[in-house]
Amino acid sequence: MPTIQARGLTKRFGGKVLAVDHLDFDAIPGGVTGFLGPNGAGKTTTLRMLLGLVTPTSGSVLVDGHRYRDLPDPTERIGAVLEASGFHPARTARNHLRIVANMANLPFSRVEECLDLVGLSEVADRKVGGFSMGMRQRLELARALMGKPDILVLDEPANGLDPQGIAWLRDFLRFYASEKPVSGDGRIVIVSSHLLSEAQLIVDDVIVLTAGRLAAQGRLADLLAGTKRSVRVRTPDAERLVHALKAAGLPAVFQDGFVVCEGCTPELVGPVMVENRIEVHEMVSSTESLESLFFSLTGGEPAMAGQPAAPMGDYRRFNDGPAPPPAQAQMPSSSPGPVGGQR
Amino acid sequence: MRGLLTAEVRKLWTIWSSYVVLLIVVVIDLLFGFIIAFAPGGRHRGAAGLVPHGSSQWFTNVFAVLDNSRLLALVLGVLIITGEYRHKTVTPTFLAEPRRGRVVTAKLGVSFGAGLVLGAITMLTGLVIGLVLVGLKVHSCLSFAGVGQGVSQAMCSAQHGLYYVANTHDMWHDWSQIAPGVILGTGLFAIYGLGLGALLKNQIVAIVVGLIFTLVVESIIVAVWPTIGEYLPGQAATALEDAARTSFSGTAQLLPWWGGAGMLLVYGIALALVGTFTTLRSDIT
Repeated sequence: MPTIQARGLTKRFGGKVLAVDHLDFDAIPGGVTGFLGPNGAGKTTTLRMLLGLVTPTSGSVLVDGHRYRDLPDPTERIGAVLEASGFHPARTARNHLRIVANMANLPFSRVEECLDLVGLSEVADRKVGGFSMGMRQRLELARALMGKPDILVLDEPANGLDPQGIAWLRDFLRFYASEKPVSGDGRIVIVSSHLLSEAQLIVDDVIVLTAGRLAAQGRLADLLAGTKRSVRVRTPDAERLVHALKAAGLPAVFQDGFVVCEGCTPELVGPVMVENRIEVHEMVSSTESLESLFFSLTGGEPAMAGQPAAPMGDYRRFNDGPAPPPAQAQMPSSSPGPVGGQR
Repeated sequence: MRGLLTAEVRKLWTIWSSYVVLLIVVVIDLLFGFIIAFAPGGRHRGAAGLVPHGSSQWFTNVFAVLDNSRLLALVLGVLIITGEYRHKTVTPTFLAEPRRGRVVTAKLGVSFGAGLVLGAITMLTGLVIGLVLVGLKVHSCLSFAGVGQGVSQAMCSAQHGLYYVANTHDMWHDWSQIAPGVILGTGLFAIYGLGLGALLKNQIVAIVVGLIFTLVVESIIVAVWPTIGEYLPGQAATALEDAARTSFSGTAQLLPWWGGAGMLLVYGIALALVGTFTTLRSDIT
């Protein structure tokens, strides 16, 4: 059974910037684990420590109980799709993979299988320098899959892919995670992302990082179950429904043309409407999205540990701000509000 | 290790820069070879006096200038390791083989091989130059009046001079004396370049440091402190050739050939070792 285990994982760059701060997590096989967090939360650094590219300042992250560099056949244990991974521009895609095959003692037939899988067979003899961002990303995926690894780690894999490519990747990762290779426990697939709507479609488990620390870990469904739910009803009898719901002890307000009941479920609201014979045109039950869960977990936190991050400026001022007087090149110092806010 | 070596060889032959280095070597060899061959007196590196065109000493000088190829071997060695950082292929490389020392060891082996190939191509080019010179029947006359070029054998005899004409026997003799030293020196210089690259990691810096040290700093040290100079890489490589060269008339102080080979090996391996435990251990971000 493949395992990934981080204990007290810490990375301090140049003795100053604390990128990852005493991180503990376990990855669970059989599903896709989302590695989420805002920019600078330490996602990439953590993944690179997992892959032996970055040395932890303290703590450890182990693959199947070993450090990456102690794995006898790393290519066959764990595959990685990394953002800043390189290609020699003058080398062909096929040769790029054949080099990996040589290093990992894999047959060249594996190169052709992987090229085929990611749809690069036709351009395999073209130089990578002429590849689009999406083609490079596919080549990177092909390289990661060379050793049929039980663990797949992808850092922002959707970057550069077109919508079709993203959909394909989504299906592929689901398939790859659920497929039971040898041990019968499924594989570990870790996908780091800052695109939450995208991640929500793929992941089963989440590990949320903020400022280099673990903010939450668990099954996405469980995390979302513990969050706020609400029911919105569109009805011509809004006023009567609000009264009826309040009489039933449910919090109800009328806003934006809907009767909104925070913390309610349709099972609670439905009987009240039937009892009072209220006509319903629309009823929507919603759980909190991953996005709002994410903001509640990471919201207001600085981007990096120990370093206060400046919040983004108020974009509404961008167009509506007072125009500078035509004669002056610079904004007068008395103009209201700088673009970048300060804490 | 066999897989790593094969991968390193594949890395070299699948990019055009390796062939560019080869092409530059051939072009420079032809250029230098013919310039030395037709230079008045054919002087080369401290060879005292005038060297009659067509003589055996003259062939020696023509072939000895080809040892400049080792500068390109140094560049090739630097490229073999710094190219990985420049194009960030170091990430897939260290993912496939996280034990970085093993990668450097494979690269040491492959740069030595590539350097030997570069040296062999250099000496093959030298053979072509030699055959052309024989074919042109380059000749001269050494008499009391000095060295006369283009003087016919009859006129030379009339002046009681010595008549020289480029011939296959002399050419082949001199070539086979010099070739082993140049080829081995070029191979070892590639190792030296790899060590420099491993230590400095930055491609441009490593190339500039390597060339400036060899061409400028070393010449100064050799001139001022010859006892130290003989242990430096360039002189160590020259020592390899000198053992083979019969008529070298320079004054430079040199180690025995095996001492030169040993020094070069020590430079390459020591630099690579220090690089492996310092610069190459740094994080790949």
